Amino acid sequence: MSERPDARLLPDGVPVGFADIESALAGVSRDATKRAAGMALTATIVVAGPPHRLTEAAQALRGLTDVGVRAVLISYGDNPAPTVQVSRNTVALEGLRAEYLNNAVAALRLSSLPTLVWWRGGKVDALEGLAALADRLVLDADEGQDVWASVSRIAEHTAVSDLRWTRLTRWRALMAHFFDIAEVCAAAPGFRLLQIEGSDIQSARLFAGWLASTLQLRGELKADLREKPGASPIETVVLSDGDQELTLRMAANGTCVETAARVQGLPAGSRIVSLGDQRLAALLGEELRIRARDLAFERAVAASKGFV
Amino acid sequence: MPSNPLQDGLRLEPTPGPTTLVIFGASGDLTRRKLLPAVYKLSRGQRLPALFSVVGVSRDDMGDEAFRTVLRDSLREFAGVQADDPVAKSLARRIRYVGGEFADPALYQRLAATLQEIDSAGGALFYLAIPPGLYGTVIEQLGAAGLSKAASAGHWRRVIVEKPFGTDLGTARELNQIVHRHFDEEQVFRIDHYLGKETVQNLMVFRFANGMFEPIWNRRYIDHVQITAAETVGVERRATYYEGAGALRDMVQNHLMQLLSLVAMEPPIAFTAESVRDRKMDALLSVQPLVDPASGATEVVRAQYGAGWVAGADVPGYGVEPGVNSASTTETFVALRMQLDSWRWAGVPFYLRTGKRMPKRTTEIAIQLRRPPLEIFKRVSPTSVAPNLLIINVQPDEGISVRFEAKLPGTRMQLAPVMMNFRYGTAFGGSVPEAYETLLLDAMLGDPTLFARHDFVEASWALITPVHDTWRSEQAGAIPTYEAGEWGPAEADAMMARDGRRWRTL
Repeated sequence: MSERPDARLLPDGVPVGFADIESALAGVSRDATKRAAGMALTATIVVAGPPHRLTEAAQALRGLTDVGVRAVLISYGDNPAPTVQVSRNTVALEGLRAEYLNNAVAALRLSSLPTLVWWRGGKVDALEGLAALADRLVLDADEGQDVWASVSRIAEHTAVSDLRWTRLTRWRALMAHFFDIAEVCAAAPGFRLLQIEGSDIQSARLFAGWLASTLQLRGELKADLREKPGASPIETVVLSDGDQELTLRMAANGTCVETAARVQGLPAGSRIVSLGDQRLAALLGEELRIRARDLAFERAVAASKGFV
Repeated sequence: MPSNPLQDGLRLEPTPGPTTLVIFGASGDLTRRKLLPAVYKLSRGQRLPALFSVVGVSRDDMGDEAFRTVLRDSLREFAGVQADDPVAKSLARRIRYVGGEFADPALYQRLAATLQEIDSAGGALFYLAIPPGLYGTVIEQLGAAGLSKAASAGHWRRVIVEKPFGTDLGTARELNQIVHRHFDEEQVFRIDHYLGKETVQNLMVFRFANGMFEPIWNRRYIDHVQITAAETVGVERRATYYEGAGALRDMVQNHLMQLLSLVAMEPPIAFTAESVRDRKMDALLSVQPLVDPASGATEVVRAQYGAGWVAGADVPGYGVEPGVNSASTTETFVALRMQLDSWRWAGVPFYLRTGKRMPKRTTEIAIQLRRPPLEIFKRVSPTSVAPNLLIINVQPDEGISVRFEAKLPGTRMQLAPVMMNFRYGTAFGGSVPEAYETLLLDAMLGDPTLFARHDFVEASWALITPVHDTWRSEQAGAIPTYEAGEWGPAEADAMMARDGRRWRTL
């Protein structure tokens, strides 16, 4: 029997049977078209995760559905007939058995649109089946889930990213700017020590993996990754080789990063740069704008295995 | 088409002359679900002649009034039509029923008398909506009763035969011989309802009425073609038939071969039935044998659905469906790689797949073009750009889509594939006619363009039959399975992977 749907997931959702989803969406779309003509769908976004991680995702998606995506929200459970609600371009399935995740998505994705899967945790077996149906997979699993072990396999057929990686975009750009200084670039092979502090050790590993893979320092870079509970995912990054020291540090306001460099033993200026919008909706929006395979991410994940 | 020169340039679409539609299998599923609703819609659209009648024939002991009830129930259930609908009432007045055993000559005497009574002074169209095993019997009896030949000029007799037309090459030939003993080929309309779909008819318009597609419709520009026909339903109440048929006979021999021939055919010299059917036949004859005569190897994958989850519910595996032998090796899924030995298609594989209990009901033809010779955007888009794709949606959302690369808006040069879509449901307004409406009307008009010719049916069986022979000769054993609600077995993916390709995710 169907259970009572979570009102927070789809506040204006209408309960329907699974087999009636398409006709219900078509009906809702016709009504919506009267209000906002000319809006075309540009992608299907599937969010899969445990119930407690779905509500937040649903809120983030509400802004996106207004710009034309079909959203499919799926929470896990053990219900053979999951609760189904639809609202405008959004479908919510609650209580679906994880082994049938790919069956549900195969039925609901639109072959005419790219499908982005936003993975908010669950069984890794189900992840691989689901990824085969996606054009792009954005990982966003709970801490402690080793989903990165699957990345190289999945990347053979589906572009993969991770919201941790998206959050690191500005940090990576700022580190990359240091290497525009000729002396720093020339010294690149000599960097040996990396210190990262923050609340999310996985983000630290990913950043370390990125540096090791792009600077071709795999096995040579010694990383000191320190977990700091309650802080930002990344608080401080320091890359050094003795004469050079490159520092990125979260500013006190938590929205900017201070950069500082010491080149050939001398200070080389510093600046404060905004981290940009780090809310979930903005991060997902950034991921939606990228369709190609992210080789830098794949290499970073592969290299991150060397850092614990 | 009628040769009447006055029809040229008429704004009104042609209407058949006086016709009596005789449905064998009057109380069957096909009649209730498709034929009677199609007749109603044609009538409502004023596409039927003023002198039009329906005669139902079946074994059931019922009279005219009971058959009218069948009509009313059918229209209510499958066309949403109420009993007081004036068109339905008018149709009900033009309905007759003749009951009896199909092998009994007396039935045909009564039918002849009824036709004479109706005296439509036109034609009689016999529709065989009965189990295939009875086709021969009914055709022989129609011939014996003199019903296969028109009594005088202006009268005509035609027969519509449903699929499957035979079960292999031998039985198809045998059936054709029986048919031709009593009916000339131009009187015979072998129906394949896929050919009545707008998109399928449009395929010829798309190819031969536009200057931009035909020049690239060949091996120089096309990498490969994928044809998919997927159903969400299982075997349902058709286990008796399906156990002896399987997906290869049920879908590939007819529907998919028709789609393949329409994609692969050369341009006909004119849009006439014979010219179109000749070119389709050429295409089919160019298909390489599916079984290597020397090694016996075949590039055909078969599988059977296991338990799974489809359309929001747990479903059982094929082996435990009612009426199915638990040790059955009947295939519910089949995937094939076909190679056409022609100047146009040499080296371009055609991949066909069809299955029951797939994630969604969809039929499409996907034509993937070759990549551009030089990938100048490789630096900004490190992975290859997606190849262009032309998608012909046959059902449920009939239309055509083209996929091409576009620049994502913004200051950076980023590429993304986009779709340009044409949909019948929205492009022209009005409703798209059901395939059976189109085909019934064409048969009444005597236009066989959208029907299968005897040689096409035999050529199609000639390709399929050796595959069945191979399967039969294989040791009885396990058939690969796939979970209901998924896109088929791993073996089908492996077949594509051997060519460095993947099935399209639908």
